[in-house]
Amino acid sequence: MAELSNYILVGALLFGLGVIGFLTRRNLIVVFLCTELMFQGVVVNLVAFARYWGNLQGQAFALFLLVIAAVEAGLALALVVVLYRRRGTLDSEAWNSMRG
Amino acid sequence: MNWSTTTIAIYGLTALGAVAVYLLLPRAGRSARVAGTLLGLAALAGLVVLSLRSFAIPGSEDFYFYLLAVLALTSAAGVITQRKAVYSALYFVLTVVAVAGLVVLLEAEFLAAALIIIYGGAILVTYLFVIMLAQQEGQPLYDRRVRGGWWACVAGFLLTATVASALSDFLLLAPVVAPPMTVEVANTDRLGLVVMTRYMVVLQAAGILLLLALVGAVAIVRKRYPHLETVERPLPAIGQAGREAAPF
Repeated sequence: MAELSNYILVGALLFGLGVIGFLTRRNLIVVFLCTELMFQGVVVNLVAFARYWGNLQGQAFALFLLVIAAVEAGLALALVVVLYRRRGTLDSEAWNSMRG
Repeated sequence: MNWSTTTIAIYGLTALGAVAVYLLLPRAGRSARVAGTLLGLAALAGLVVLSLRSFAIPGSEDFYFYLLAVLALTSAAGVITQRKAVYSALYFVLTVVAVAGLVVLLEAEFLAAALIIIYGGAILVTYLFVIMLAQQEGQPLYDRRVRGGWWACVAGFLLTATVASALSDFLLLAPVVAPPMTVEVANTDRLGLVVMTRYMVVLQAAGILLLLALVGAVAIVRKRYPHLETVERPLPAIGQAGREAAPF
């Protein structure tokens, strides 16, 4: 059985890769895929802590996190479809007039 | 903060990984994918060696842990470096499978099945639908050029290295070993009991949230915007409003 810090390291690296992708990619769909990647890192952390504390709260939290991920994916993809209809492109730079 | 060898090794290997990701990201000019791949594999191998030397406890499941962890990290790198959105989505399926394997190693079988079914099944199919729906001719420019790759890699490196080294400093002092599982009840039974009793209100709230998201998504993608219509529609006769409503 691997030690807790191994799982935390994997979770942190998955989260970091998701952050890099979220900041760099310009395709709106890939940007949202990167948020799902960050969710995966968080799931690994939650389940690892639940295992090492010997209770189920982390697993229950991860289960509700799946619900939030599904909600986020549905709404985000609906918004992506609307944005694609308006501009005809998935490029996030097409909307850079929205920056403050 | 004392700079132990482990901390320095974690910083160095994470920096190596960040450079590899930077080389692999789609950019203008000559691509350095071979160099990026080699550097990334070197960083992963270094992390495995570091983990074996500093954190490992002799055990039978360690081989599967390293296999699944390397699979998850390589496919995650594939998600953010692929030029085509479809390939990114398919690499993400591989990440989900590897993470579900890690979750099985942590003895959370129900959650592993839920990850595969919900992520690999439902969410990824939705993503693929939208990718197919918003397909563009050839390879569009926004998939071949990233924005601010250098600074993003520095930010990701700092975040990951700080978290990992802080945690390893803390955990090296007192290694956290999992308590042996002594329960005879299946994981699904125990999790179901907890969710249906202690987290009952949260469960109801999650259901309401899903319903709201469903209605909201339909409302967002509706094509007709009645308040933007310029053509005057005749008012329906009394008692006839809504009788001939067209579907969305």
